[in-house]
Amino acid sequence: MTASVPTAQPDGGAGSPPPRRLGRALKRRLTDGSPIRWLGRGGAVIPLLMLLFVLITLIIKAIPALEFAGPKFITGTRWNFGAPYGTPVTTNGLVHNAGESFGALPEILGTLATSAIALIIAIPVSIGAALVIVERLPRRLANYFGLFLELLAGIPSVIIGLWGALTFGPFIAHNVAPIISNNVPDWPGLSFFRGDTGNGQGLLTSGLILAIMVIPIIAATARDLIRGVPILPREGAIALGMSDFECARKVTLPWVGAGLVGAVVLGLGRALGETIAVAMVCGVALGSLPTNLYAAMITIAANLVQNIDTAILDKMDISAFAALALILLVITLLANIGARMLVRKVSGTALPVGRGL
Amino acid sequence: MAKNIRLVCTAAALVPLTVLAAACSSSSPSKGSGSSPNAASASGKQITETGSTLLFPLFGAWQNAYSTANPNITITSGSTGSGTGIADASQGLVNIGASDAYLSSSDIQSSPGLINIPLTVAALMINYNVPGVKKPLNLDGTVLAQIYKGKITNWNDPAIAKLNPGVSLPNLKIVTLHRADGSGSTFLFTSYMNAQDATDWPSSDVNTTITWPSVPGAAAETGSGAMVTTCGSTKGCIAYIGISYLSKTQPLGLGEASLANKSGKTVQPTHSTIATALASFDTNTPASGAQSLINTSAAGGYPIINYEYAMVKKSQPSAAEATALKAFLNWIVTTGNTSTYLEPVNFEPLPAPALTVAKNLINSISG
Repeated sequence: MTASVPTAQPDGGAGSPPPRRLGRALKRRLTDGSPIRWLGRGGAVIPLLMLLFVLITLIIKAIPALEFAGPKFITGTRWNFGAPYGTPVTTNGLVHNAGESFGALPEILGTLATSAIALIIAIPVSIGAALVIVERLPRRLANYFGLFLELLAGIPSVIIGLWGALTFGPFIAHNVAPIISNNVPDWPGLSFFRGDTGNGQGLLTSGLILAIMVIPIIAATARDLIRGVPILPREGAIALGMSDFECARKVTLPWVGAGLVGAVVLGLGRALGETIAVAMVCGVALGSLPTNLYAAMITIAANLVQNIDTAILDKMDISAFAALALILLVITLLANIGARMLVRKVSGTALPVGRGL
Repeated sequence: MAKNIRLVCTAAALVPLTVLAAACSSSSPSKGSGSSPNAASASGKQITETGSTLLFPLFGAWQNAYSTANPNITITSGSTGSGTGIADASQGLVNIGASDAYLSSSDIQSSPGLINIPLTVAALMINYNVPGVKKPLNLDGTVLAQIYKGKITNWNDPAIAKLNPGVSLPNLKIVTLHRADGSGSTFLFTSYMNAQDATDWPSSDVNTTITWPSVPGAAAETGSGAMVTTCGSTKGCIAYIGISYLSKTQPLGLGEASLANKSGKTVQPTHSTIATALASFDTNTPASGAQSLINTSAAGGYPIINYEYAMVKKSQPSAAEATALKAFLNWIVTTGNTSTYLEPVNFEPLPAPALTVAKNLINSISG
């Protein structure tokens, strides 16, 4: 917006006679450029102001809950909205519902764990897909595949969530999870992968759903990066007798290494903040750490969207929600800043950033 | 041409400014009923409702009948769960927030202008999908609490067998279903368990949203409809569902448990047992309308019944809107409480004392 203003200058209103005296001063003001430039600058600062505005509002709103819960807000595992129908109690001068308790550890871990599962699956799949699209497929076919990747990225998350809740989750619970659960050896460290496979709402389904949403982001970025690798080193590698796999591992991927890390962190940013799809398949188990890979769990975003109706009526609850939002905001901001720094170092490829591509 | 470009640029630069201004001005939403839901509503031609999925089937019938009789009034309704109903009404987003739960002390504190008007009487069933068991199972608050806490995990548990002598219970894992959204049904169900056994189900776990104990295989469902369909497709499930869904649960083969009341008798949810339970409470309805009808001491009374409430802001955005709303609510508690509407969903009409309270509360609404 700011960039286009100066280019509009050359054939400005200076040559044409003013139609009316009255509007002249105003017209000069508008055509002069400097107020527009000023407006442009204002427009450029606004995103920053908005971010600060959100941050400051959240911090102010979060204070009572953080004061009430203390460090337990991050380390505690018990989350309870308390009993609003009972008599309110006062602790340390703060009025709250009896039994109210905020321990967000399960939600924080849930957010990180689902994203981790998503990345573990999405990274090899996306990089493999990107390599195949660039190096294996004929150009026209590759274009179609690229198009599908971008279409996949454009599916609204609520649709993926609905499909996950109705079809994919039950399929995982009845057809996939039992195979894992029954075949993992009964060793002490592996008990997390054994046990009740649930009903399709839980950690594994959430992670897989996120993987589906993250793959297009990582794959599309990786495809653009790999396309930028010059042909000569690759031809050289093949001339030296390397197999395609060795060539990819030793030449192509190291060439775009840092960019790939950036792509992955972009995907991570999406996974961390994804709300509605996860809320629909996570099982909404408030305040409980998942007992195994298939158990119902909760993420920060899922708690916010599922329980806002209850929280909004109570000052302390809404304060706790502000604190949760703050934690999520900080985590995603850190992931995004990391991604920018890494990606900018490497290349100027157009990156699919953010949600709803 | 260039002029136009500049104008467009200026306009474009102004957009974020206005957005920011709007964001700033809306940062204090609970300041009162200044902003009306929308223009059509302010003229008294539209009445909006969200909330209880338990009441929803009946509200739909009310809505149809009333707007057929009054074609100039448009009524919109949403089956969102009681929690959302209360929240929306308190924020002035809708005229009526339907809820199975009355306002809590913290609700009243945070939204002083909100009143709860009793509309009709409903009941909550405990449904189960246990193939082979024909006779209704007997359950009580203690056993239900143990089941939802994961202490009882199989239908052939001795504690269940003890309540059901002579019934051969299958060796089948219990799958507990609970509501994921803020729900009046959750409030009623947890109230019942707390009233029956305060040690096994403490009062801090009575709310429209609670922290459910972690039980392997337990599932969270959004809305009464999801409870019905999931329970229907899950062998061994147990769920709490409003009696308005009886016509949906029966074809799926779900049973309705006979629940123990305060006197220890186990009772099926029927027209007469609900009426009996209601009779044991109806003389002392408080002027606020907020009354728990849980765990009746009447021997033949069903223990989980409740008033369905309309959460309404006492001061409506305009006089026209208040008049339209009052007319509709008055119609609900009179014509809407006849068997034509209540019979299909197995609800009971408001008893006389509650009706008086409801009419007084409706009359206190102003524009």
